[in-house]
Amino acid sequence: MNAIPKRSLWDKFKCKEVVGFLFILPAFLYFVFVYYYPILQSLYISFHDWSPFAMRFVGLQMYRKVLFRSVFWHSMYITTYFVILSIPLTVIPALFIAILLNSIIRIKLRNILTVFYFLPFVVSLVAAALIWEWLLNPHYGFVNYLLERVGIPGQLWLRSPTQVIPSLAGINAWSRLGFDVILFLAALQTLPMELYEAAEIDGASKFQRFSHITLPLLNPQIILVVIIELIFDFKIFDQVYVTTQGGPANQSRVIILHLYDVAFKWFKMGQACVIGLMVFLLLLSLSFFQWRFFRRTVTY
Amino acid sequence: MLKAFFASKVAYILLIPGACIIFFPIFWIALTSLKTPPEIQIVPPTFFPKQLSNTTNYFEVFRREPFGNFILNSLFVASICSISSVFLSSLAGYGYAKFNFPGKNLFFFATVGMLMIPFQTIMVPLYLWLTRFGLLDTYVGIMTPFLVSAFGVFLMRVAIETIPSDYIDAARIDGCSDLRIFMQIILPSVKPALATLAIIKFMWTWNELLWPLIVTSSTSKYVVTLGLSSFTNMYFREYHLLTAAAALSMIPTIAIFLLFQKWVIRGVAMSGLKG
Repeated sequence: MNAIPKRSLWDKFKCKEVVGFLFILPAFLYFVFVYYYPILQSLYISFHDWSPFAMRFVGLQMYRKVLFRSVFWHSMYITTYFVILSIPLTVIPALFIAILLNSIIRIKLRNILTVFYFLPFVVSLVAAALIWEWLLNPHYGFVNYLLERVGIPGQLWLRSPTQVIPSLAGINAWSRLGFDVILFLAALQTLPMELYEAAEIDGASKFQRFSHITLPLLNPQIILVVIIELIFDFKIFDQVYVTTQGGPANQSRVIILHLYDVAFKWFKMGQACVIGLMVFLLLLSLSFFQWRFFRRTVTY
Repeated sequence: MLKAFFASKVAYILLIPGACIIFFPIFWIALTSLKTPPEIQIVPPTFFPKQLSNTTNYFEVFRREPFGNFILNSLFVASICSISSVFLSSLAGYGYAKFNFPGKNLFFFATVGMLMIPFQTIMVPLYLWLTRFGLLDTYVGIMTPFLVSAFGVFLMRVAIETIPSDYIDAARIDGCSDLRIFMQIILPSVKPALATLAIIKFMWTWNELLWPLIVTSSTSKYVVTLGLSSFTNMYFREYHLLTAAAALSMIPTIAIFLLFQKWVIRGVAMSGLKG
């Protein structure tokens, strides 16, 4: 008579569910250690006066020090100004370029053109910033040369307190354009052709087809792209660090640059964590509000 | 039909000059890097360098700073992070795609939710961790935040979900262990997604500045972005060298992009559609 084999402990352990859990475990543990635990730590440190020499619990004093001093709000203002300039400068051209690209029937040509538009995105922000710093050089830069050829006096661009943020916004737009173009292009290619055909039969003009079909259908994607750009632009650092370092006259002192200085030049970790948490809260609430406020469902 | 013809033509008229304008800055840097200092400082600026084969600036860049080291460091860091990311993301993707365990959706939501946390918010505690473990100024330290990405997990999950479950079940009935199933069935079936993730992760890690800046202090461990930044600080008026250094740092990523355009563009498009 055959004995029914007893399931060993290992067999019981190895049931499907546990195995699945083991597969996701490495990545999940990594996230816990590298993201979730540090953010709790950030909260903890924000209640301390934390420097390389000492660590003292101070309650909300660090929050007071950060939030009641104008340097933080100045950085927020500069960053907001940058973001407000940069987003339309990036998203609107990207949308039009994507629509134009989408209308090109020959795929090979469309791909070649897409590569050109995406190339700036591939280059590191450091290299992009240097490229433009050179182009916008007041003395030897090509941009001023072109302007002077048409009779406009050369500008100071990155060296001018009033023009530095618009210039940085322009550089950012150049760099990020290709990314948004691809996102829009992908969305455009999911739009159903029948709608357009039906509209054309009904006599809708090109403009009407654009404003009544394309735009509403793309609405979710436009919001998504704006949120992506918003979150990314708020955190810019590379270009500013490499070119202006916050100047001239602190007019390009974006918030992450400020955070960097507070943490790694002045070693005030408590204050740095406060700034970091403020940025996190701001971005979280911005994405939340944008999503809820501007979302309109499209039914057809 | 005629309308379609015209629509395309309008697109060409607008897009082709646009593409040239967008491309021009990169082209200009390449040209400038081949010029001698006097040529650069002439007003009005010359367009083409006198000698297209004038590579002295590049040699001078290598002579002044260990730029070759910078490139090798970036290569090392980006490759390891890319491989690690692909491996860990696909493990996790398989777990989420083909298994059902209690709390699975919660874990996945937590993983994707992590994308909401800006890196800049956790970089200070991470830095303090590294200090405590003596990992400052080490390659391990530089790679720490970049070993897995939530985007990668998402990408792999979506890719693996398309594999028919019957195929996997058949293998399991045949006595295959889950690890073997993973290595011999799952991974080969999602090669495109793996390639996309690997390349995007490689390029993204290559272009990082902030974290390497914080963590690295010895020049020998500088990655290219950091090396370029410090090069700019040191030789800030020597435009012939700056442009050559910038060009050097761009060549690898541009080359990889041109080689693997299809993967990169598809990966980018997918990151948008997921939203």
